[in-house]
Amino acid sequence: MTVGPVQRDEATAAFFDGTARGEFLLRRCPDCGTFLSPQAEQCPEGGTDLEWVPASGLGRVVTWSVVHGRGVFPTVVAAVVELDEGPWWWTQVTGPGLPDDLAGLRVRVDFARYEDNEAVPVFRPMD
Amino acid sequence: MEPASAGPAHLRPVIAGLGMTDLGKVYGRGTTWFAAEAVRRAAADAGLGLSDIDGLLVSSGVTRGPGLSLQRALDLRDLRLLSEMNSFGSTAGAMVQYAAMAVRAGMADVVACVFADAPLREGRSTGAAYGGAPAKGWVGLLGAGGAGGATTMYAMAARRHMMTYGTTSEQLGHVAVAQRAWAAMNPLAQMRTPISLEDHQSSRWVAEPFHLLDCCLVSNGGIAVIVTSAGRAASLARPPVHVLGWGQAHPGRFLRRDEDFGLASGAARSGPAALAMAGVSLDDIDVFELYDCYTYTVMITLEDYGLCGKGEGGALVSSGLLGPEGKLKVNTGGGQLSSYYMWGMTPLSEAVIQARGEAGERQVDRHELVLVSGNGGVLDHHSTLILGGTSR
Repeated sequence: MTVGPVQRDEATAAFFDGTARGEFLLRRCPDCGTFLSPQAEQCPEGGTDLEWVPASGLGRVVTWSVVHGRGVFPTVVAAVVELDEGPWWWTQVTGPGLPDDLAGLRVRVDFARYEDNEAVPVFRPMD
Repeated sequence: MEPASAGPAHLRPVIAGLGMTDLGKVYGRGTTWFAAEAVRRAAADAGLGLSDIDGLLVSSGVTRGPGLSLQRALDLRDLRLLSEMNSFGSTAGAMVQYAAMAVRAGMADVVACVFADAPLREGRSTGAAYGGAPAKGWVGLLGAGGAGGATTMYAMAARRHMMTYGTTSEQLGHVAVAQRAWAAMNPLAQMRTPISLEDHQSSRWVAEPFHLLDCCLVSNGGIAVIVTSAGRAASLARPPVHVLGWGQAHPGRFLRRDEDFGLASGAARSGPAALAMAGVSLDDIDVFELYDCYTYTVMITLEDYGLCGKGEGGALVSSGLLGPEGKLKVNTGGGQLSSYYMWGMTPLSEAVIQARGEAGERQVDRHELVLVSGNGGVLDHHSTLILGGTSR
């Protein structure tokens, strides 16, 4: 598994607190219960007082690309994962047992970090 | 929008000058020089002096250009319009639109619109030129997770189109082959050696389903155009290219269930708006100069402009319609895939050259109406221009 270094800022602090605990946090609108991506600042229905809630960590692959490495950069599989709660997440899919065709593949979140940097979500095929 | 022909005839917007620096692996110059030189050449092309310029719109690529300080670099006094603009690959088209509106409103008479970038450095790989993403916050997280980078994201968009509509890599290869055939006739093109579909298929993978020959070049350089009024252009050096219609579309995608990511672009809204403003139909367009960061981008742009049905873009581009011998004149200079990578200025510059009838060996016979597209982000931002030949 290969992730790069990333540092938190004001907008991502709560999310990285979550990844440090092994949780993938989503935003949820307290008014209508809609789950939103971690980056969301407001609900499409208008709610702005979004809360952070842990996701199931389960999802499926919407689309993907084998990104071929060159030089110091290894080959990785990038994907758009649709979380079971609805939001999409751009990520790396990794681990043994990756099929050639990832369409619809069920995946589960895991976390990796580069040296002392923040923990970054990656996804692995579900058993 | 009201037709571009509305209002006083002498205030109708035109492109009166085009300035291009040397493009490609041009070293030893920074973005300020490229931008300033492009403006100087555009003004000279129009038969204007720098002191005639009273509006300046500046766009930069990844290396962050001179921005507002370009005014000082060019010693431009008392401008009436000055901004740095960015909607990524749709910026060049957007700059012409804002310049055209300023001219129509009488806010400025002579507006220079310029793009410059210098990501290439001698001895460093082309890929490295566009690397080095910031490692902070959400953007940093995207990169750290391995799904950042334009090529990766466009590859995933193309894959989704393939999964949904059966589009194939071979079909996309036809775009690369056709554009290289055009580039072979373009003295400004960086890549002029013809390629075959086999060359496309056997070129190395970059991010599947993209081979190397699905991807644009990276170039150093600068390109500028001068937007002015028809009245002013009447006494200038070059035949004016009329700006007849324009549109933008920024669909807004929010990363959630049922998004049309990869399946649609802003062209579907921007194109009809621009055509309606110009008072013409798609069938009237003689030449298409389309933003082509990847072969896939050309395919989905043609599809969304309505040259075929949704999902039929792959069949369209592989049907023999593209290329110098084809009926559909698309990216006649080789585009960003084969000529030079100046973001939206690549299709815009070729459009001006074709509309003027100055494309030499590659000149298209019918060049009365030229459609120009710009595309930014990952199909997030779109601009369309309808440019009219000199006889209008």
